[in-house]
Amino acid sequence: MTDPTVLTELTALALQAGFVDGLTDFLGPSNLASVVVEGLAKSAIYVMIASGLTLIFGLMGVLNFAHGSLTMIGAYLAGVVMVVLVGNATGQWTRMAFFFGALVVVFIALAFLGGVMEIGLIRELYTRPPIYQILLTFGLTLVLEETVRIVVQFYGLQPISEWQGALGTKPAFMATEHSLGPLSVRGLAAFEILLGLATVAAIWAFLTRTRYGLYIRAGSEDAEMAEALGIDVRRVFTVVFALGAGIAGVAGALLMWDPVWGASVPLAAETLLPAFVVVIIGGLGTFRGTVAGALVVGMADATTTWWFQNVFITWTWLPEMAVFLILVGMLVVKPQGLYGVEEVGGH
Amino acid sequence: MTLLELHGVETYYGESHVLEGVTLSVEEGEVVALVGRNGVGKTTTLRSILQLTPPREGSVTYRGEELVGLGTHEVADRGVGWIPEDRRIFSQLSVAENVRVSVPDGRDTEAALTMAYDTFPVLDERRDQEAGTLSGGQQQMLSLARGLVGENALLLVDEPSEGLAPQIVADVADALNDAAKETTLLLVEQNLPLALDLADRFYVLDKGRVVDDGDTAEVSADDERLRRFLSA
Repeated sequence: MTDPTVLTELTALALQAGFVDGLTDFLGPSNLASVVVEGLAKSAIYVMIASGLTLIFGLMGVLNFAHGSLTMIGAYLAGVVMVVLVGNATGQWTRMAFFFGALVVVFIALAFLGGVMEIGLIRELYTRPPIYQILLTFGLTLVLEETVRIVVQFYGLQPISEWQGALGTKPAFMATEHSLGPLSVRGLAAFEILLGLATVAAIWAFLTRTRYGLYIRAGSEDAEMAEALGIDVRRVFTVVFALGAGIAGVAGALLMWDPVWGASVPLAAETLLPAFVVVIIGGLGTFRGTVAGALVVGMADATTTWWFQNVFITWTWLPEMAVFLILVGMLVVKPQGLYGVEEVGGH
Repeated sequence: MTLLELHGVETYYGESHVLEGVTLSVEEGEVVALVGRNGVGKTTTLRSILQLTPPREGSVTYRGEELVGLGTHEVADRGVGWIPEDRRIFSQLSVAENVRVSVPDGRDTEAALTMAYDTFPVLDERRDQEAGTLSGGQQQMLSLARGLVGENALLLVDEPSEGLAPQIVADVADALNDAAKETTLLLVEQNLPLALDLADRFYVLDKGRVVDDGDTAEVSADDERLRRFLSA
């Protein structure tokens, strides 16, 4: 009969050997670069789904639970535009041009929807306790999801497998892998990184280089003082809510092409949760924090995914658990997040 | 010409009745001091003018136009500026951005920055610094500069000397004296010698009511007439 102590030591040795082997593999230039690229691609998606949420919370103190629904509507709308417009167009540059056209359509439509939501519903609740805004936006989520569900079922866009037709509108270079020296990069991952960078740069430039951006940053800190300086903070609220909704839609358009996400009604909840994780880790209400939070979550997700797929066991939910462990750790050690302040919200 | 007039202003915070029929007026070109003990409603009077805490009754007219019912930004657009008690600079913006955000649309921002830096040279040295990292005195200078570059016809100045070192108080007094040459000031100030030195007229508030008023030339800081309302 085997001595239990020996068995434990053997198991420990095996695990240690497995870990050392895994670490050696992980640190190999090809694997490490691949994890970094995948991490950046995930970060790009996270920053896009979380930016609108953080802009809205930073200025208005409103936790918009309907944010994921706006992303989901953006995904469907972009898919519809692509399926309708692309038709028989086969040239990949034509498809790219249509995609950017779809981005503009989605941004304008979602910004309009966001503006209507702010003026018609949320504005009435600024003087009420935050629970009213949470309940309202949560209720909106249910209404928007059910509305979309009815529409997609009526037009036969579900089940999801049928809807994947929109994925077929992707240009060929995104559907294949490309070699850069020893590194193999998915075309879609490279596109996601570029679009994420462009979105961050555009938001950053808007906030720091325009007069309206200055109003937003001032209003985020002290809405009353900004108002006393002649800034129409209510109008700024509407613009920011519209902007946040538009960015959520643009994120949805990007996800429409990603087979991991796709366009589906559950996308609303699937994107809302990581968006909250990112903004909490980065610090609620700070755009800089959201970018940092997205990088942390994206890299952690890619790293743990690699480890669980290549070294440990393949359970898809394990990398997700690692991300939530980071969230728990952040809430214990620094509840205000990486760049957050103790109190945010302009009113 | 009467620039600002409050008549029977009644203001509440929730159920708390803070201003009980405040009536006062400010003529164009004047410096008027609003004095009184802590908690008698001086800051609330300024907030009522700005419609930050709108009165439930009474009227606030500026150049003959009723302000009650307007938004605060609309009051500011008409030329009423505010230098608040606790400075309330935008701590995450740079010094220059704090000044820029105060310049009304369509006005020359560079000229406003030059004016702010001429008035307070230390702000020029720290123009790119985050405002939250300035010392208390420098933050007060920035708050004043923000009010001065707004090209306001009426400036509501709340406790500008509070918590400042004597040398800084002198600088602040100089800046307000200069501002008074071009702007009408309604000044809330606990530092009575400073208030009387700057102001042409004064109002004394007590328990939410105006209980005395007059020309500052008629009184001194230790005058019995003022002391009975100002001593704790």
